[in-house]
Amino acid sequence: MDVSTLLADHAEKLKSTQVETENALDVDAGYLTVTDPNPIETDSYESSLETHLLSLARTGTQALLNALFSLPTTSSPDGPLAQLPPPTTQLPRAKPLPKPKPLTKWEQFAKAKGIQGKAKEKRTKKVWDEERQEWVNRWGRDGKNKQVEEQWITEVPMNADIDHDPRKAARDERKARVAKNQKQHEANLAREQKARGSVSSNPEREAHKKELERTLAMSRTSTASMGKFDRKLDGERKLKGVKRKFNPTESSVAAEAKASLDLLTKMNSEARKARITEAQRPSKKSRTSRDAGAMEDSVLNVRKAVRFASKGRGGVALGREKTKGAVSRKRGRR
Amino acid sequence: MLRTVKPKNARSKRALEAREPKEVEDPRIAIFVKGTKTGEVLNGVMKDMMALKRPDAISFSKKNVIHPLDAQNTASGSSSTSSLEFWSSKNDASMFVIGQTSKKRPNDLTFVRMYDGKVLDIVEAGVENYISMESIPGPKSTSGHKPLMHFASELFDTHPRFIQLKSMLMSLFNGEVVESIYLKGLEHVISVSLAPTPATLNTASASTESSTPLPKVHIRTYTTRLLASGSRIPRVELAPMGPSMDLVLRRHTNPDPELLKQAMKRPKLKKTDIEKGLGKRKKNTDVDEMGDLRGRVHVGKQDLSKLQTRKMKGLKAGAFEDDDEDGSDYEDSDGDISMKRQKLS
Repeated sequence: MDVSTLLADHAEKLKSTQVETENALDVDAGYLTVTDPNPIETDSYESSLETHLLSLARTGTQALLNALFSLPTTSSPDGPLAQLPPPTTQLPRAKPLPKPKPLTKWEQFAKAKGIQGKAKEKRTKKVWDEERQEWVNRWGRDGKNKQVEEQWITEVPMNADIDHDPRKAARDERKARVAKNQKQHEANLAREQKARGSVSSNPEREAHKKELERTLAMSRTSTASMGKFDRKLDGERKLKGVKRKFNPTESSVAAEAKASLDLLTKMNSEARKARITEAQRPSKKSRTSRDAGAMEDSVLNVRKAVRFASKGRGGVALGREKTKGAVSRKRGRR
Repeated sequence: MLRTVKPKNARSKRALEAREPKEVEDPRIAIFVKGTKTGEVLNGVMKDMMALKRPDAISFSKKNVIHPLDAQNTASGSSSTSSLEFWSSKNDASMFVIGQTSKKRPNDLTFVRMYDGKVLDIVEAGVENYISMESIPGPKSTSGHKPLMHFASELFDTHPRFIQLKSMLMSLFNGEVVESIYLKGLEHVISVSLAPTPATLNTASASTESSTPLPKVHIRTYTTRLLASGSRIPRVELAPMGPSMDLVLRRHTNPDPELLKQAMKRPKLKKTDIEKGLGKRKKNTDVDEMGDLRGRVHVGKQDLSKLQTRKMKGLKAGAFEDDDEDGSDYEDSDGDISMKRQKLS
């Protein structure tokens, strides 16, 4: 069998797709773009413009397709897909790069400790129910988290109270989880806001606002009607958990005397004096609050760290042990 | 400036999230704006360009008083770039094609590119020898298919005006990064080539703003026909599809360097991409034909004079000089150990 004819045939076939130019064409497969760096020939341009442009475009397109058809492919239901390389041409973006999302407290902690939890994978809305053999909601209507509350029969533990309601217990537990998550979410949002340094993060202003609200609430409750008939201010919220309470009009003389004396001692008490002096020195108060803030910011929980290091015996024991250890080590070195 | 809206329901929240900046961007949405006066030619040009750009094209078919390249205090009062910025934010669009004809600049087509809601750069060109898509018989490309692009001339690599034009046209038609593509779906080519380079431009390409007229730009669109060649790679034949037009470059603005620097920022490469060989190339590693990763380690020049060969009593340096061999030997070894300790600690 003569192979040379076959080879010649193959070479002939290849020839029809090959592109010959003076300078190699610059193909950017990522953007499906080809740039021909060869200068335009004046003769062919002037003799017949359209044929010249067509032949130029054909050469370029052939070169581009040669590059594209030799890319690795993957199969898909619609046919083979060519995997494009990242583009080499730099084009300006339309919008700035997205800002990285601030880490939540748990994510910070996990990063510091090198924990890779479930937080990475996104939680799906549906979960597989083994018993019912179908996908059910994780939460919401007929949610998986409400399974215990909604089942028609529930086991009661042996030593349960007489009024133990397993459905209510399960519900309370779920509600507590939701509330905890909500609280943590809000704390994360607040931390993010604080980190961003927005307008509302003025601590003095916030403290003042809180104090005003407190004073207002106290003044409301100091009338006999608990502020029911007072003029309402703009944006004033309704006070919750405020109940009127009346002492009996008739009480023993001893009890009345005791109440009056109590009031007098309370007004004259050391605790009250201390409170007043503290209020007059606001600088110290603010400093302590700032310290507390710094503590709050750090990932390390000092109290827990001390408990862990001292194996639950407290900071004093830890300090004692440390000094003792240092002494003994010195001795050992000698 | 638009006020920031807080979404009130899930649908509007999703819509707002779709507009947020992304790492890999969607194709630029282009708005085709008519100026105060557009002739038959420009109407046709805009219509055909929209057909090529669809589905990422929005048409503003009413007349607008807009002169983005003129000075701020024109008769219209407000600056034109401010209304461009407004339209951009309203439509989530980052490109504009503005058509306007006047006695001074007949059949004027202006391309505006935006970054972050601000105008990045503007290229203005006059349209000549326009042939519409309808007047050329033959098959047309399907809307939504990505075009191939072809640029021919060395000026697209050397001359700043043409570099800008190339970048602008690529942003308009092809500026989307895709991972994979169905090769049979490549139906049309947009070919941009220039008239022969004048000698003055050829010699002094760096000294730009000379009075010599810039060569004409020929924009042609062709449909591709892939013929079996016997090999894996098909042979391509082209047929004119339309629109075809010649552009004469007119005014332009260069991007603000600070804005451009921000716009050219790339996302940090992921670890997997770096392993694939993107970004900064790792030195001294390569993959052999079995697919194993091979590394080369550079070791400093070795001092062979200190090489420990076979120990023999007769070759010892002080073998015949000292009487108390044992003592000195012991000290030596002790010293060695102490040195090692120092290094370790």
